[in-house]
Amino acid sequence: MKKSWWKTGPLSVLLATAVIAGCSSQTANQTTQPKTDEAGKTSNTLVVSSLIDPDTLDLHKTTWLGNENGLLYEPLLSRDTSGKIIPGLAEKYEISPDGKTWTFTIRKNIRFHTGNPVTAAAVKESFDRMLEISPVKGIVGPIEKVEATDEQTLKVHFSKPFSPFINVVISGMVSPVDTKAAKELGDGFGDKPSGTGPIQFEKRERGASLLFKKNPEYNWGPEYVANKGPLHIDNVLFRFLKDDDTRMMEFKKGTIHVLHDVPANSVAELQSLPGVDIQKTMDIGIKYIAFNNKHPLFSDVRLRKAVALSVDRDPLVQVALNGFGKPIYGPLAPTIFGYSEAIENKAKQMYTRNVAESKQLLADAGWTDTNNDGIVDKDGKPLSVEILVSQQPAFTRAAQILQSQLREAGIDLKITVQEMTTIKDRISKKSYDMALMYYGWYDADILFLIFEKSNAESRMHYTRPELDDLLNKGREASSEEERIRIYEQAQEILLNDSPWVPLWVNEVVTATRGIKGFGLNSYTQYFILNDVTLDK
Amino acid sequence: MRRYVVKRLISLLGTLLGVSVLIFLMVHLIPGDPATQILGQFATPEAISQMRTALGLDQPLWQQYVGFLGRLLTGDLGTSLFTGESVWEQIVTRFPITLQLAIFSVLIAAIFGILLGTIAAVKQNTLVDRFVVLLSLVGISAPGFWIALFLIWIFAYKLALFPISGYEGVHSLLLPAITLGMAEAGMIARMTRASMLEVIKQDYMRTAEAKGASLVSLIFSHGLPNAIIPVVTMIGLQFGSLMAGAVVVETVFSLQGIGSLAIEAISKRDMPTVQGMVFFMALIFALTNLIVDLIYSRIDPRIHFD
Repeated sequence: MKKSWWKTGPLSVLLATAVIAGCSSQTANQTTQPKTDEAGKTSNTLVVSSLIDPDTLDLHKTTWLGNENGLLYEPLLSRDTSGKIIPGLAEKYEISPDGKTWTFTIRKNIRFHTGNPVTAAAVKESFDRMLEISPVKGIVGPIEKVEATDEQTLKVHFSKPFSPFINVVISGMVSPVDTKAAKELGDGFGDKPSGTGPIQFEKRERGASLLFKKNPEYNWGPEYVANKGPLHIDNVLFRFLKDDDTRMMEFKKGTIHVLHDVPANSVAELQSLPGVDIQKTMDIGIKYIAFNNKHPLFSDVRLRKAVALSVDRDPLVQVALNGFGKPIYGPLAPTIFGYSEAIENKAKQMYTRNVAESKQLLADAGWTDTNNDGIVDKDGKPLSVEILVSQQPAFTRAAQILQSQLREAGIDLKITVQEMTTIKDRISKKSYDMALMYYGWYDADILFLIFEKSNAESRMHYTRPELDDLLNKGREASSEEERIRIYEQAQEILLNDSPWVPLWVNEVVTATRGIKGFGLNSYTQYFILNDVTLDK
Repeated sequence: MRRYVVKRLISLLGTLLGVSVLIFLMVHLIPGDPATQILGQFATPEAISQMRTALGLDQPLWQQYVGFLGRLLTGDLGTSLFTGESVWEQIVTRFPITLQLAIFSVLIAAIFGILLGTIAAVKQNTLVDRFVVLLSLVGISAPGFWIALFLIWIFAYKLALFPISGYEGVHSLLLPAITLGMAEAGMIARMTRASMLEVIKQDYMRTAEAKGASLVSLIFSHGLPNAIIPVVTMIGLQFGSLMAGAVVVETVFSLQGIGSLAIEAISKRDMPTVQGMVFFMALIFALTNLIVDLIYSRIDPRIHFD
């Protein structure tokens, strides 16, 4: 007898599902998180909620460095929590009088995670690999050659002095990589990396989590931590949770210990929970309005200044960021080398909101409100400009506030929300009026990377030979004092020309629960895990 | 039947060729330069230019397409520009989760949708009927992310019956499957109800009732098999779109399926991954349609393919 399809159909589908579920048990296992009752208590695992899953763990192939891939490696030098330069893998360093040769003395008895010894020769190999394959090799400056003169001494020779190198070293971008392991593994090194950091790679579930275990050999912790030896915790698990509501619920339920980059509108709620510790660090970059300085409108400095004078930063920080930020008027954030309080004060004086002055500048440029519609016009055309904004909630909220602020000065601001990739593309093609952008770097050399003529083409299209001279000098000056002085002059040019409008510096909020001894270093942006213990 | 299947498979090749052109053009027309994305914020114009050459992006579009098609014909979907992994491997790793999710949600949608739709039709113009219609409207119109958060809050956060996010086994897929299945269930319920109301009026139903068939036998043996024919088509089409459209649910529940891979790849302009994935999904969608058409002939004997 022929069975009716509807009697056998559902059963077949159920069976098929079971088979597929069974066949995919490998996938299931791959994405299974460590079995813990509550956040890692049973296995002494620190669980961190993270937003970014790094493309690769190979330091020399990435363009992005965060806790998720950076803690695997240890820099030659670092900064303590007050910003002072301290030894890392290098006990000391020296710069030759002509500024062209940097000599690092590498610590003794250090090993990579594989057990391979860290010698000056190994560090040289790492530099060579970086200079050969890294997509960001441009940031290390004009290195001519790197040599290991003995077991402990490493010399980095530059074709001309390059002072920002100190912050390149501190950033971790040139931290020693185990090149012997890299050679053996080839392209697979990104999946089985080896460095000298306090944690070593254990397991990766792409897109879901990264599991590290403590480095049992580690005894070169920085001087500002109590525990210089291996971490107290056994494992560190980064879980990649992208939805804000989901990661908030995970944290509140107690399944994660560290909630990094807490959404600004959730901080108050977390603060009210018992046992939650909130820590804040200032970002190493700023958010700003980028003008298209080649645009017929914004090639006129009066219009750029008119926009800058229409902006009130306090509501941006209070409303768009819920107070977790700091208004910034000058080009550099306080956590970046080269920041000058004098420049910041001057910038504040010049660009504190002044709608009357803004309107005057517009009138001087021929823009007045002839038809009383609230928007200034010229030759019958209203002053209407577009601002490109990425989908980040803080950015879109800020753009709405800017829209209302600029309108008071008579400027009609149209908001276009697009993906950051599209925005960058439009900027490089000069197909934009204004854009809400950001940068992040440890050194005032960021101004070179943004404004120097060879870089300006893909950014704000603003060039000025005097500025280029200063930014080049800032790279070559030997003393910190001299560099600060040069960057002050460069920043003055930027204040006078206003090719952009600095807006705010983010405060990155991190919530922790169920742990002690967790810290954040504002100057390196890395977690301090050395003293972390889980509550019993 | 065999001839029909062969004919459909041949026409499928033509469809896939068209799809390959469309995917290729779409991916290359989206604004955004992969070279700039790969090199990050410190990229110099020279480095970007070198990277574009290395990726072959400086070649004429037709040459790039020929290369893409050539690789496709050899079964090579390319390599991710960012992770360095083979696109095929990425798909194979992530597809099982999306497939399971799609099957579970279609099962939930079909079981609840057909059951509620049938009840509503049998109890036409009663409170039960109105309640089902209202419920299906809620299912269709409630946003997926809202249902997801609501379910997580109750069943994972408050009652701790399921993990809040991540994949810890097949049971982790229940809440996401319900989320996905709600809208589908609503649509299936409405269609089943409408179809069933048509069938109930037919002469053979009256005859069966006159011959003393019980209500259960009347509905499930005589009514439903006839009413369900258009519903099956809809379920089949929905199954195809579910496999490609679980983006929001996968993000909220932090599931590493095809949807989340698509979002990552598109936002980074990882062209080989986007191309490979869209092509794969188009293939799955086309095959699902073929299977639905074949099932159709089994359900409705009036349909012959030869």
